[in-house]
Amino acid sequence: MIPFDFEYYQPASIAEAVQLYNDLQQNGKAPMYYGGGTEIITMARNSSIKTQAVIDIKQIPECQQLETKGQSLIIGAAVTLTAIAEANPFPLLTQAGSRVADHSVQNKITLGGNVCGTIIYHEAVLPLLLADSEVCISGINESRTESIHTVFDQQMRLNNGELVVQFKIPLEYTSLPHWHVKKTKLEKIDYPLITLCALKKDGAIRIALSGACSFPFRGRAMEKALNQPGEDLSKRVAQALQQLPGPLQDTVAGSSNYRRFVLGNLLEDAIDGLEG
Amino acid sequence: MDYISVGESVPRKDAWEKASGAARYNSDRIQPGLLHGALVTSTCAHGLIKSIDLGAALTMPGVINIITGADFPVLSGPVLEDHPPLASGKVRYYGEPVAVVIAATEAQAVAAVGAVNIEYEALPIVTSPLDSFKPGAPLIHERVDLYKRMVSDVYPEKDTNIADHIKIRKGDLPKGWAASHTIIEAEYDLPQADHIAMETRNVQAEILPGDEVVIHSSSQTPFSIRKEISSCFGIDLGKITVHVPLVGGGFGGKAAVQLELIAYMASLSVGGRPVKIANTREQDISTSPSQLGLHARIKLGADQSGRFTALEAIFMVDSGAYCDIGSRMAKSMAMNCTGPYRIDNVWCDSYCIYTNHIYATSFRGFGHLEFTFALERSLDKLAAQMQLDPLELRRRNALKAGDSSPTQVALTTSNLGNLEACLDKLKSLINWDQGRYISIDANTVRSKGISCLWKTSNSPTDAFSGAMVIINPDGSINLIVGAVEIGPGMLTTLAQILAEKMKMDINRIHVHMPVDTRVSPHHWKTVGSMTTYMVGKAVLEAAQDAINQLLSLAAMVLKVSPSDLDVARERVYLKDNPDYYMDIADIGHAYKYPDGNSVGGQVIGRGSFVMRHLTPLDPNTGRGRPGPAWTVGAQAVEVEYNRRDHSYKILKAVTVLDAGKVINPKHARGVITGGVSMGLGVATREEIIYDEQGQIGTSSLRTYKVLHCGQQPEYVVDYVETPLLDSPYGARPIGEHGIIGMPAALANSLSLAAGIELDQLPLTPELIWKRLEEEKR
Repeated sequence: MIPFDFEYYQPASIAEAVQLYNDLQQNGKAPMYYGGGTEIITMARNSSIKTQAVIDIKQIPECQQLETKGQSLIIGAAVTLTAIAEANPFPLLTQAGSRVADHSVQNKITLGGNVCGTIIYHEAVLPLLLADSEVCISGINESRTESIHTVFDQQMRLNNGELVVQFKIPLEYTSLPHWHVKKTKLEKIDYPLITLCALKKDGAIRIALSGACSFPFRGRAMEKALNQPGEDLSKRVAQALQQLPGPLQDTVAGSSNYRRFVLGNLLEDAIDGLEG
Repeated sequence: MDYISVGESVPRKDAWEKASGAARYNSDRIQPGLLHGALVTSTCAHGLIKSIDLGAALTMPGVINIITGADFPVLSGPVLEDHPPLASGKVRYYGEPVAVVIAATEAQAVAAVGAVNIEYEALPIVTSPLDSFKPGAPLIHERVDLYKRMVSDVYPEKDTNIADHIKIRKGDLPKGWAASHTIIEAEYDLPQADHIAMETRNVQAEILPGDEVVIHSSSQTPFSIRKEISSCFGIDLGKITVHVPLVGGGFGGKAAVQLELIAYMASLSVGGRPVKIANTREQDISTSPSQLGLHARIKLGADQSGRFTALEAIFMVDSGAYCDIGSRMAKSMAMNCTGPYRIDNVWCDSYCIYTNHIYATSFRGFGHLEFTFALERSLDKLAAQMQLDPLELRRRNALKAGDSSPTQVALTTSNLGNLEACLDKLKSLINWDQGRYISIDANTVRSKGISCLWKTSNSPTDAFSGAMVIINPDGSINLIVGAVEIGPGMLTTLAQILAEKMKMDINRIHVHMPVDTRVSPHHWKTVGSMTTYMVGKAVLEAAQDAINQLLSLAAMVLKVSPSDLDVARERVYLKDNPDYYMDIADIGHAYKYPDGNSVGGQVIGRGSFVMRHLTPLDPNTGRGRPGPAWTVGAQAVEVEYNRRDHSYKILKAVTVLDAGKVINPKHARGVITGGVSMGLGVATREEIIYDEQGQIGTSSLRTYKVLHCGQQPEYVVDYVETPLLDSPYGARPIGEHGIIGMPAALANSLSLAAGIELDQLPLTPELIWKRLEEEKR
């Protein structure tokens, strides 16, 4: 049960959505954009969040787009993980999305929601980071298209009232050799102990991780250590482990030392797999 | 031909309702004018309540009243009265109920909870039974010795955190050690876990204008609710009525009386209006009681031939903040501490210890899973050290008729059963002779581990059950008992017992599923796997009473002696000429002669049963008879283990129980595999994790994981049938037993696979990795 009342809006256009956000905020309603709703519902239930108005973006055509346009794959923010998996335009994204929660929840979770939500893992952002994707964002005054590396720094960095409309993924990345593995404490369906996504582009391996640190990231410094083909694999992995962008998490899912052990194995497997 | 019912997989009496979704559970009850109570729970694991500010919350919409512990200075508890239903003066665990907001709607009540401001002054916390046991540990209860004792045999120790101490002194320990060739010693740790019944606990309470108290609860113990409310608040027992419909799983967790007391207080505070309190999943985990934790020390010796010579066992039960039934589980562990093995020299100290954890209550297996883990791990260590086959070691030491239990009960074939026969079956079902460690490839091994189990119940010596059998005008029968249908189909089992006795079609037996303490015959508690034995015996007696009434009326009408007659197929017939009979439909509700005169009346059979020859344990030696009989069994698991990343997959789980007599094969398999599944959950992942402040990190199903559909291995269940002579049709209790040996069997298997001793739960890949790392250093 959600112990508070809130208003529900279903705008049909981007302009209407951002205007609504602006107006509702001015009325002190602390509005939230609403995609699949899985986080909002569960967090409102236990009073972790409170809002007086939600703006459901699922009826906005741009947010529901899933198509190839020129040299880009366009995925609207309100496209569900299940829809992405079924169309399968970017197999690495399919794999990452198919291990977020369980199937019935994937029917609800949207790509935009997973990337922008408050749960720290954002596993669907990993393929987007590796593929140098772009994010189309609309606000009350302007719309902008930014590199994901600009707007995603540990979490999405948006201006007040901005709406993520869609993601643009350069087509060339969608068919590159890739690797995905998710390790949990024990369960299949759980938050990641470590989720690793990798792509091989122009002979070099790119690595992105969730669960390792308290935020998802692309490990550019780690990649440098890993992409030394002549070197001994265990040495490359050991060097990469020195290049983490933050401390390894220490949570009920696993200690930081254990995470280091698991990550070492996963990196070895990924390099083995991609260098073949 | 007579109808056969016992031994058949009769469909459950509640099958249609449950399969169609029509079954009604307690929370489905809708009542006009129902108010809602929401608990304000402690955010501090041990602290003084400095102030409670209700001002803002009382002005919130819909709020009718807010009560705190200060409004009701009472103590509750089934063994020791140490437990204020709402914390008073101090809090002893994170999640403890401190206040209740009563409002017109659930949403209004929950919204106001956030506006209650409570200030605590933190006290030092105690988070393990071992620390709590140490001299100088912060006291969780200042004067445990002054609490009212609800039973004669509980021994709290002044100025300590010890709520109870049970001793077993059997044989001559020094002599046992002297006769030992090999002695092993080890320590074991098991965390608390939760019951995670599908239906979270919920209750409605109301006080009628004539002071009648009406409780509707999701409970395994309607009669204990009545007793505790009566004792706690000084109300005549007969004025309290407790209703319990179908219950969506209990596993022991719904044997504790908690929300009922709080809901009663809430209703009293609003003039008796009906108040509902329903746990969220989070509250069900962190506020209502959990499974116990355990620290155990085992020292076990054997002579050159591998026969056990002596056992010294220390059990420190983590009972959490309150005693509840923890002390009875400590007793349960002590009285069965040898497992189903002959050990003539035994010294056991079992302590029930307070900590700043959630308080513990009964949990499937009632302490047996926990001590069995410690004991059966020790057996494998001993076997390894002596280079003996672990299965052979168990077989060689199996208890037999003529031996005695740790509490010196003489064992017979009837009260013990046959462990050797169980082990023999297990050996073939798990392909033991094929080897228990098989390398598959460089990183993969398959390994097998086993554990035996035994269990008896641990009830009050006067635990009793009743049953009523009422004949309908059409000759069918209504069966009314006080046992709650908590899931395993026990009420159907009782109907089978009745059908067999009456030699009639089970479809003509109608079971009254809900329990209503004003109507239903008393049943101690629906716990301890005792329904078939206790209530079954009462049903048989009630059936015999009904038969006697039918025979005597029919004898009069038919002008024969009652001894000439028998009952079958809803007829009373002449034994020497079954064609000469009367339909029960014609005499069950009086017999009408052709001239219109009538004799007799409605036939109501009554039966009851009380435990026989039980005694409390002697406080110095533990001598005594705690339960009527044992169920023995043997279990095995086979795993595939990855030596590189320490992940594993459970391939197969085998259970062989001496069931005495399997009354319903499909129900039996269901309840046993349910236990196995739960045992594997506890073994692999279930654990309440506390942080340094005693706050719970696993209070929702996002982080508290249970075994899910699709994760089960192949289940194999088989039986030995050595009848328990004084039980209905020879049946032994089997309800809890599937859980007991699973954690030990898995730990034995993984210890072998990983080459490291795994002496704690849960057995996560991280634990195995950590143990291997420790060994490297």
